[in-house]
Amino acid sequence: MARALVAALLLLLAATATAQESNGGGDVQGAASADSDPAGARSPWDPWERFNRKMFAFNEDVDHFVLEPVATGWDYVVPHRVETCISNFFENLMLPTRFANDLLQLKPWKAYETLWRAVINTTVGLGGFFDPASVWDVYKSDEDFGQTLGYWGTPAGPYLVLPLLGPSNPRDTAGLVVDSIPYLYIPPYTLIPIYASVPGTAVQVVNRRALALETIREERKAAFDWYAAVRSAWTQNRENRVHDQAAAPVKPGATPDEDLYDVDE
Amino acid sequence: MTSTSEGPRRRVLLGAVAALVAVVSIAALASAAEPPRTVIQRTIDEVLAVLRDKSRNQDQRRKDLEVIARDRFDFVTMSKLVMATNWKKLSPEQQTEFVEQFTRFLANDYGARIDRYHQEEVQITGEQPEARGDQTIKTKIVGGDNDGALVDYRLRQKDGNGNWLIIDVVVEGISLVANYRDQFREVANQGGPVIVIEKLKQKNANPSSPVPELEPPKKEAPKKS
Repeated sequence: MARALVAALLLLLAATATAQESNGGGDVQGAASADSDPAGARSPWDPWERFNRKMFAFNEDVDHFVLEPVATGWDYVVPHRVETCISNFFENLMLPTRFANDLLQLKPWKAYETLWRAVINTTVGLGGFFDPASVWDVYKSDEDFGQTLGYWGTPAGPYLVLPLLGPSNPRDTAGLVVDSIPYLYIPPYTLIPIYASVPGTAVQVVNRRALALETIREERKAAFDWYAAVRSAWTQNRENRVHDQAAAPVKPGATPDEDLYDVDE
Repeated sequence: MTSTSEGPRRRVLLGAVAALVAVVSIAALASAAEPPRTVIQRTIDEVLAVLRDKSRNQDQRRKDLEVIARDRFDFVTMSKLVMATNWKKLSPEQQTEFVEQFTRFLANDYGARIDRYHQEEVQITGEQPEARGDQTIKTKIVGGDNDGALVDYRLRQKDGNGNWLIIDVVVEGISLVANYRDQFREVANQGGPVIVIEKLKQKNANPSSPVPELEPPKKEAPKKS
């Protein structure tokens, strides 16, 4: 099952790689992804909007009827500090993903810090439940394979809402699959039996949702078109992370609609 | 130019000129616009002071925040940016109305959100010049649930030598202007730009987080007999 999923998504990865070549993706290195988005880096490209809106509505229903109520209950029972500890624990488990992607993006110093962070938090932080590394200002990597693909110039492709997993795009969907490989094939992760990993994942998802309860409630209320709000926020945040917080340069000759800060007078 | 060997008269003259220059430049400094970094630092200090003043109730604090926001943000420019090509489709009266409603909306929303955050500090971490002479001031939140969150303020100088005003807030790479622009574009595509004003009015009539007085009234204690 898992193998089949990986195979299917590797195929998708190959498809995006091909798309990149037909896009004239010869230029390696960071700056390339700005070209992938015809409407400018800050305007999401969404040709699949009809499908996406339906999928988004489905996800919202799941959230409304299942996830949010469960998370609300969880939040009521579990103290906030414990939620933070659980969140730290799962983030610490991401070590292989972060480390490998730091290296794949030719950031050896960050890879070293990622490793150092895991050592500190696993030992001093009692198995990752606490985060002393942050107190000591050890760099916290958020790299994943979607960002690695972006770093090497793979275009993001159109906005895509995945069932249950939410906002994505073809590049990051492929990244998601590749990032899960170590957890399927590399010990000690493979030693975790399925009857532990399924509830483990459930705890992770519910706990993450519980930490976001208030934020999402506020954002929903402040939105005029919740779908567009999420699409814009997710796309911007993602682009920003691919470029490690450096804003994508404004393209010369951008039309007023493309250029965010041009008052068209 | 000759060297300084012409005796005491010249020296007195030089001294006078220097004094004059000093006085003039101090005056110029006082009248010149505050640099963007100072504007943001002052805003942060004032906002945190309001949030920490527990002698005032939540409603008063929110009003104080709105006063600060109206003074530091350029809501007219922000309105133009969020409406983009739809801006020109509005009549001048509609444009005025849009600015008014959008300002109220942001002030409500900003006030409601920020009021939850008080155990946090804000550090200015850098600044960066942008296209069109804009300036971005980068800040980082320290402490609290949002520890490490990056918040950038983009400022633009009002007409030449005027004040620097905030035209966008970018939280963790997410631009407020870009976000509302995408939403308003969708809304306008469905019913024209005027619908955006209508929706803003609806939101403002029913603020996302009502001030304390408007909260569901507590059930009155059952009256005796």
